[in-house]
Amino acid sequence: MNQMSNKEIMPRRALSSSFSRKSIFKLLALLLIIIVFLIPIYRLVWMSFQVDGSLSFANYTTILQDGKTWSVLHNTILVVLGSTAISVSLGILLAWLVAYTDIRAKKMMQFFIVLPFVIPSYISTLAWTQFFGANGLYGKLMSMLPFATEEINLYSMGGIIFVLGLSHYPLVYLLSVSVFRRIPREVEHASRVSGASGWKTFLKVTLPLALPGIASGGLLAFIANLDNFGIPAFLGIPAQIDVLSTYIYQQVIGFGPSAFQRAATFSVILGVLALLGTLVQWFLLRKSKRLETTVEDKTPRIFLGKWKPLIEVGLWCFFFITSIVPFISMGMTSLLSAYGVDFTWENISLKNYQFILETSPKAKRAIGNSVQLALVITIVGVLIGTAFAYYRIRKPNRLNQLSEMAISLPYALPGTVMALSMIFAWMEPIPGWNPGIYGSIMILFIAYITRFLILQVRGSITAVLQVDYSMEEAAIVSGSTGFSKWKEILLPLMLPSILSGAFLVFLTALTELTVSSLLWSSNAETIGVIIFSFEQAGYTTYSTAMSSLIIFLIILGFLLLSGVQFFWSRKVASKQ
Amino acid sequence: MSIKISQISKQFDQFTALKDIQLSIEPGEFIAILGPSGCGKTTLLRLLAGFLSPTAGSIEIGESQVGTAKRSLPPEQRNIGMVFQSFALWPHLNVKDHIRFPIQHHRFVPSALKKNEAKRVEEVLKMVDLESFADRMPSELSGGQKQRVALARAIAPKPELLLMDEPLSNLDAELRMEMRNEIQSIHRLTGATIVYVTHDQGEALAMADRIVVMNQGEIEQVGTPPEIFARPKTPFVAKFVGKANLVKGSWKEGKFTPESLPNVQWQDNGIEEGMKNQGYYPARPEQLQLTKDQDIQNAIPAVITSVQYQGKEIHYLVQALEQEWSVHADIFDKFDLGEQVYIQLKGAVVKDRVKV
Repeated sequence: MNQMSNKEIMPRRALSSSFSRKSIFKLLALLLIIIVFLIPIYRLVWMSFQVDGSLSFANYTTILQDGKTWSVLHNTILVVLGSTAISVSLGILLAWLVAYTDIRAKKMMQFFIVLPFVIPSYISTLAWTQFFGANGLYGKLMSMLPFATEEINLYSMGGIIFVLGLSHYPLVYLLSVSVFRRIPREVEHASRVSGASGWKTFLKVTLPLALPGIASGGLLAFIANLDNFGIPAFLGIPAQIDVLSTYIYQQVIGFGPSAFQRAATFSVILGVLALLGTLVQWFLLRKSKRLETTVEDKTPRIFLGKWKPLIEVGLWCFFFITSIVPFISMGMTSLLSAYGVDFTWENISLKNYQFILETSPKAKRAIGNSVQLALVITIVGVLIGTAFAYYRIRKPNRLNQLSEMAISLPYALPGTVMALSMIFAWMEPIPGWNPGIYGSIMILFIAYITRFLILQVRGSITAVLQVDYSMEEAAIVSGSTGFSKWKEILLPLMLPSILSGAFLVFLTALTELTVSSLLWSSNAETIGVIIFSFEQAGYTTYSTAMSSLIIFLIILGFLLLSGVQFFWSRKVASKQ
Repeated sequence: MSIKISQISKQFDQFTALKDIQLSIEPGEFIAILGPSGCGKTTLLRLLAGFLSPTAGSIEIGESQVGTAKRSLPPEQRNIGMVFQSFALWPHLNVKDHIRFPIQHHRFVPSALKKNEAKRVEEVLKMVDLESFADRMPSELSGGQKQRVALARAIAPKPELLLMDEPLSNLDAELRMEMRNEIQSIHRLTGATIVYVTHDQGEALAMADRIVVMNQGEIEQVGTPPEIFARPKTPFVAKFVGKANLVKGSWKEGKFTPESLPNVQWQDNGIEEGMKNQGYYPARPEQLQLTKDQDIQNAIPAVITSVQYQGKEIHYLVQALEQEWSVHADIFDKFDLGEQVYIQLKGAVVKDRVKV
């Protein structure tokens, strides 16, 4: 009798102790999330209300009375609206063509469409300036024409709008194309049978159904254009055109008497704008999921007939001019022995590459730093991000949901705002105690993890969703739990998606500019910072050489990743 | 409205979906196009609607030619209504808007109807019994209600031709039975010509005036439901519609003798010439009975391989003459698995009375 009751109690005791251990673990995780992801933002907001150590609205009132503020806001609105208009029209047009018509080689097109998304925007900017530059390909091509053409100056409002618009149309494209494909064709057929013509069907049925998706993509482009630092920094600062993101940067760099408070106040304004955008975008995206079907219909609905070759040639010209030619221009500049000389055999040399890879200690150090940062962030991200994604999907609860929102907050905020909040949070983690994190590479590690963890979490969530829970249950029933379950069942199925997330994190961290431009210190430079400072100092041959090198590495990484994913999926498929 | 389909063929790249289809449909007729998936029935319907154009041949609806290889009228210029398998409701419009849409856009709507739009909407809502759901969105409706909206939208502009693409296959069994009545009453009320595509022979038999059985892009047989069921002209129709056992053998002077059983003779109870020429006797499961009495004449020895109790009857599978036979017996004829039995034709008892 006695033994029996003991047996009954024992497992319950074990259970209860693991329960309490679990709740301690949960509490710690929660505390960590609050400290890492939320406190910095709180400190930023708090700083914007500080004047001489006391709480006040004075920062806001002085800023709003400053004429410069209004000119910056005016520029920002103009730049963001203009570039968003370009992004939205290009994105919708391409999405509709790819989703609805029978043009060929859609996979190849998709690759070129996504390309501006993968290449850091400041590198694209550099490429465009070389294309339109004094000795660039554009001038050469135009001089062949019989009539004189006007020179195009990218260092202008129009230039910023143009490059921003071209850099962010993939966002609109990606969201719209899946919405277009998810509209069931019967719904359009029903409208035709009811007597509406093709055009009327597009207006009354297709467009209203696609609108939430398109609007959500448009808002994403809006936020990206608002947040972007690289493009207005490369094009706007030399021309003295300031937008919010670059103005905040200049405030911090300028070190005025109340620089931090002013920057914090501007950051709060910019941050609120960006978060509002994100909120509306999120709401619209949820609404667009209301479509009854979730299957994407990839067969063409509209046959272009005799127009097809013409449209295809037009599209390929567009891709060639926007995605290849500027980078060729940049590559050409990087091979010149001196900036401004003609591109002839005598003037071609590899000495710029030799300079950045051998001679310049700063450049070498920056490459080392960025690679090291990217590698560490990627590994830490894969471990923490996948673990979190697993719990988020398998044991969904309020706490997980809120934690995900907290983790995504630093990424939703503009880079300059986020970097500033890092300074406030980690310069003196406990008020009065400065361990020297700010001013060393440590601050970059912390900032990158805070900002980019969500990218890995999203990649890993996709991965976890791909493995149906029943597969895991089958593994458990077959007697495999813990380590062997992960090694033999979960990881093989999840790896391709985890790798995509990891690749994105690695690439983003490797080429990051915005955050590091505010957080770098000597001995802790990054690739982005070095390219930016070369360009600002007028060493264009060095900055183009470094950028060309990065493009080359990105292409290499892309091929490597698709190769791994290809062989892995074949291996998994053949095992089934 | 009459329809005339002449020598229609449809080719998709290398694949031939329809071969030389010939069919005339009378005004007000309810035609069911019946066949397994991939037989070309949906392609034929899409040609009628104008979503596809034929590779060869011509389609006439009413007086006018609507589709040839050279020129094909788009769907909105044909006087048709259509019900889709997936309902195809517009998620952003409510029930009333769905009915109003074709009244506003259809170019064949009588002007009296267009003027009294609101009245017509009410009328149609009443026909499909959805008066109290007029302001609901599609996401707030059940499957059966969605199907009623789809029907209402199709009939609202009073089209003379209604096309239906497996409209009941997304509903559960009980609802399907109910909707059959609904569709029949809509046919009576509107007097429209209906072309109804289905793979369910029960639906075709229950509702259609005439059935067109299709297989591999060709028409196998056209006829009234009793003709198709009781007097199939091809082995495919016998198997697909009547679930008949196809017994191979030879016909001599109106008598059938199965292969390898020269002593057995089955009488002709109305087998079509085509079947006779191919040396088949189609015997539907309910036309056969099983017995243990080995002295009986013209019986075929068999072994029971499967027994399924159905309540009203018992379904047996038996092995005889190197093929599997399906026999439906009443519940008093009980046999066990593996038992030796004899298959007998019920011919004397059930003689199908077919008026041709």
